[in-house]
Amino acid sequence: MASFEGFEYDVLIVGSGAGGGMSAHILTEAGIRVLLLEAGRDYDPVTETPMFQQNHEAPLRGVSTSDKNFGYFDATVDGGWQVPGEPYTEADGTRFMWWRARMLGGRTNHFGRLVPRFTPEDFNMADRDGLGENWPIDYDEVAPWYDRTEKLIGVSGTNPGLEDTPASADGVLQPPPKPRVYELLLKAVTDKMGIPAVPMRRAVITQDLDDRKACFYATGCGRGCSIGAAFQTTTSLLPWAQKTGNMKLVTDAMVKEVHVDENGRASGVTFVNRLTNEDIRVDADRVILAASACETARLMLNSKSALHPNGLANSSGQVGRNLMDSLGADIGGFIPALRGRPKYNEDGYSSNHLYIPWWDNAGQKDGTLDFTRGYHFEVGGGFSSPGMGVASRVDGYGKRAKDEVRDLYGTGINLALRGEMVQSDNCYCEIDEDVKDKWGIPVLKFHWQWSEQELNQVAHGLEWGKKIIEAMGGIVNNPDATPEQAIKAGGQIIHEVGTTRMGDNPATSVVNQWGQCWDVDNLYVMDGGVFTSNPHKNCTLTILTLAMRNATHLAEQMTAGETA
Amino acid sequence: MSTVYNPKMTRRESLKRMGSMTSVVMIGGIAVACEAPEPEATAVDASSHWPDLDFAAISENGYGTDPSMISPTAPWPRTLSAAQLDQVAVLSDIICPRDERGPSATEVGVPDVIDEWVSAPYSSQHRDRVQILNGLQWLDEEAGRRFGSPFVAASDAQQIEIIEDIAYRDRRDIPEFEHAVQFFARLRRLVFGGYFTSPEGVADIGYIGNVPIAGDYPGPTDEAMAHLNQVIADLDM
Repeated sequence: MASFEGFEYDVLIVGSGAGGGMSAHILTEAGIRVLLLEAGRDYDPVTETPMFQQNHEAPLRGVSTSDKNFGYFDATVDGGWQVPGEPYTEADGTRFMWWRARMLGGRTNHFGRLVPRFTPEDFNMADRDGLGENWPIDYDEVAPWYDRTEKLIGVSGTNPGLEDTPASADGVLQPPPKPRVYELLLKAVTDKMGIPAVPMRRAVITQDLDDRKACFYATGCGRGCSIGAAFQTTTSLLPWAQKTGNMKLVTDAMVKEVHVDENGRASGVTFVNRLTNEDIRVDADRVILAASACETARLMLNSKSALHPNGLANSSGQVGRNLMDSLGADIGGFIPALRGRPKYNEDGYSSNHLYIPWWDNAGQKDGTLDFTRGYHFEVGGGFSSPGMGVASRVDGYGKRAKDEVRDLYGTGINLALRGEMVQSDNCYCEIDEDVKDKWGIPVLKFHWQWSEQELNQVAHGLEWGKKIIEAMGGIVNNPDATPEQAIKAGGQIIHEVGTTRMGDNPATSVVNQWGQCWDVDNLYVMDGGVFTSNPHKNCTLTILTLAMRNATHLAEQMTAGETA
Repeated sequence: MSTVYNPKMTRRESLKRMGSMTSVVMIGGIAVACEAPEPEATAVDASSHWPDLDFAAISENGYGTDPSMISPTAPWPRTLSAAQLDQVAVLSDIICPRDERGPSATEVGVPDVIDEWVSAPYSSQHRDRVQILNGLQWLDEEAGRRFGSPFVAASDAQQIEIIEDIAYRDRRDIPEFEHAVQFFARLRRLVFGGYFTSPEGVADIGYIGNVPIAGDYPGPTDEAMAHLNQVIADLDM
């Protein structure tokens, strides 16, 4: 058994976000001892979350800056599109944005908590269109793990019975909050159009759950949640794992290399202590990588040895390949009929109460549509806390302009398209041998190119988003935007997955269905890197679910003495 | 210069004080924290003047990538001169005057917000800094050209005469006002943004969230639902 600073452990985990946090929880509950290394600093949402702070209390009224890309009060620590001293590069012609956080709990502290499930068909989309690969597992295999994960993290929502919204088992979901005026107006319109608008599933609890309190419908979830209503690993999985006494947590530990023994099996890691800048080598019997899809791929590619000359567990050459994000595009506007509407507290739980799931599978199957993968619309609007853009539509000056700002407040509407891209050989990351970060670790270089599939999908979304807003009596902001203009950069939706994909074939995949590396049987990947495809359902729930399933499998094997 | 902008001043008081310090404003001019030339109002080509002054980026530290969430502070020094601050104050209250529903921009400290904004070491704030400082200079040049005085020393009517020329987007098509219209649009966003994010402005606009609710989220009020139902009924579907 390996040990570090007097603590003996069975498994070393890299990363404390969704995948690492869930792995730590499952293993420690099974009595397995875990050393958890997190690159970022320690973080305590109970004392550090800006609950109730208002824009006027922040510098620059809380707007986004290069220091805080999602605004002052966003939970992200030492991160964003750039991490100081830790660059990445883009190939010529590539636009790729990579969001990182350097904090305990990683990006779970600020994510949107939108947690739709994949559908049965999502696991086998290559059967539909011949693009990409099928998953090595199917929905029936994963469904009970979805149920367990949803029950554990706390999910509110419903089972509307649509093709795009597979049902959870009875008793799993908590009730969603009531929809708000702009969402009800949208639903009135989409009902007529034959398009569904249903409660979004969110990892936000509306009823108390263990020691976490129900949402009290104030302050944005992106700030983090000190009462634990909005799921993040730092108020749930990680403290639970700590409580077992089976985990030692080391923060500010940036892992730079995984070592192997003479048989090519993982034997430990070297991490940089970010506070002292010293390299520390620790042993391990088993290693779980959950550093995020791209960071895990980087670590594997940087871990070269005689037996792994192309990077660790990379005999397939697939590490870093098959990188996928969600498509993103915004269709926004305003609804004149909502001018001066009656005020009420419209905070709700800050993100979608209703959303529009994908509604036209049939059109894809019969060839009516010129793209094969689906998307959904997330709905934004409402009487939100006023920000510096509050007067963006107003002209003139004086009393009349001031009244116009008041009148237009709460009339905005935004449909955010989130779509599935097709796996592509043109989208990947590799090591940039010419650039190192401040710790001396070679950085990632990204390659990215949208295909016709994605542009056609965005064209469809722009057309239908426009139709929906116009049916609401709305004025669309940029009615003539082209798909090329509207589509967000690769990575910008922060759903990057696929860089260590799972499969049935060691020649074309990096891990098996259990997240275990084909080439290195004591090395596991438990983050989004294992995704074989990237359905438009926001990825965190499936990262958590696969980590729960696969860490449980590992724990069972270890308990039964079936692994080394 | 002995006077500083006082966020609690009303526009009327502010203007009165401006009048008494005109000569100071003239001497202080706009050349602050930059190598701007003294305004030479009478020498400017009336048809297409825009100062187009270049301003070095602020090199102070920002608040960093891990600032305190609980006790936020903006660490950078403010850079507007007293004269610029007074000019911003006058403009703020022209844009956002006191009315029956709320106070004026200066009453809630908007010029301070703008000072913090244009002094910030971030790229988008720097773009605003260049636009706004040029705009302030342009206003003085324009007032000098038309009335022989800096902007704040001009009468209310004279100030409004200039503002009317630059306050509307469609004025952008007039070459002589193109830059000034863009400047004013930017300033308007900042002024209303500063006002409606202030506690008084938040109350004025009717944002009543950010309070904890025990139990279920109540959803729309009966009044809000009645309004919605009328909107739906009026839709041509």
